[in-house]
Amino acid sequence: MTPAGHRRILSHACAWGLISLGLMVWSLFDPRPLPVIGAMSIGQVFGTISLASFLYVVVSDLRPGLKKALDEAGVSKRPLP
Amino acid sequence: MHFDHSPLTLLALGCAAASAIILVGYLVLRPRLGAVTKVWLAFGLGVLPLVTAFAGNVQGFEATKKREFCGSCHVMIPHASDSDDPASTSLSSRHARNKFFGEVNCYACHADYGMFGTVITKLGGMRHVWLYYSEYRDTPLDEAKKAIHLLRPYPNDNCMQCHSTHAALWDRQPDHKSSLEDVRAGRVSCASAGCHGYAHPNFRPPEPAAHAELRP
Ligand code: HEC
Ligand code: HEC
Repeated sequence: MTPAGHRRILSHACAWGLISLGLMVWSLFDPRPLPVIGAMSIGQVFGTISLASFLYVVVSDLRPGLKKALDEAGVSKRPLP
Repeated sequence: MHFDHSPLTLLALGCAAASAIILVGYLVLRPRLGAVTKVWLAFGLGVLPLVTAFAGNVQGFEATKKREFCGSCHVMIPHASDSDDPASTSLSSRHARNKFFGEVNCYACHADYGMFGTVITKLGGMRHVWLYYSEYRDTPLDEAKKAIHLLRPYPNDNCMQCHSTHAALWDRQPDHKSSLEDVRAGRVSCASAGCHGYAHPNFRPPEPAAHAELRP
């Protein structure tokens, strides 16, 4: 994926992250049933989405470098056992 | 409902604020996606929100045990304000005064104490929230008093989590002594008219009418 694509994913991740933080903070200031349940369900899902998107970007940025290193070490040329 | 100043809440808020600053910073400054930016984002999207979520969940579980929380749906106000009343002589209110579990007395008596009890209690609670918003939200109190009852008869086992029935003074009490087996097996309810009375004023479990007359 292009760097621009990665930046777009990360911007979305930040937005999801901010919504999730907002829900969690709301439940701390106003611990009634709906805010607390919202924070512990929707808040967690949004937070997980944002963290997963970030990890996706980090891993896919690492992949070319990793492949190169493996090639140089001859790992990928070795025949499978 | 009031805000709880516990260290965990402050930790959750501090991490949330730091994380929000990083995230807004990223959205506004749009820095190059180098290693430094990624480390910042690892804190803003990873470490800090995870601390907030962890501390927030612990706080959330604590908050949902409080009587204040139970009383935040209007149909539970009669139960909760009775417990809040220091002059009340109801069984539930008499359990609302000690420092150890007074604030969480509803939970202390109504939690499921079996294996996975906490999870089952919380799932049951979710069901109550659902029923509240789908059915009871606009129910007037007078009607709620008639309509709301326990799904199953109240188990003596819950009382016996704290009152073991194995204390000498307790065993010596003649009524306890004569009904010991029935009490332990749940055949006689501790919270019935002939014994310690109903736990809550105004509310009655759906029982044969004869019992109502026995009540003092
Ligand atoms: C001493 C233990 C005890 C405490 C504390 C307690 N309950 Fe109960 N509760 C009972 C018992 C026992 C019943 C079964 C009916 C009865 O005996 O009144 C019951 C019944 C109920 C019912 C079913 C309707 C009814 O009244 O029969 C509701 C709702 C309820 N409790 C809510 C609460 C709430 C809310 C609190 C906290 C304010 C609370 N309870 C605290 C023991 C307790
Ligand atoms: C979470 C532990 C706990 C549970 C559950 C519990 N009790 Fe108690 N109970 C206590 C404690 C502690 C006291 C003493 C309260 C105080 O002095 O403030 C007490 C006091 C009492 C008293 C004496 C009250 C008085 O005014 O002298 C009775 C009667 C009683 N409980 C019955 C019950 C019955 C019936 C149930 C079940 C419906 C029950 N308890 C459930 C802990 C518990």
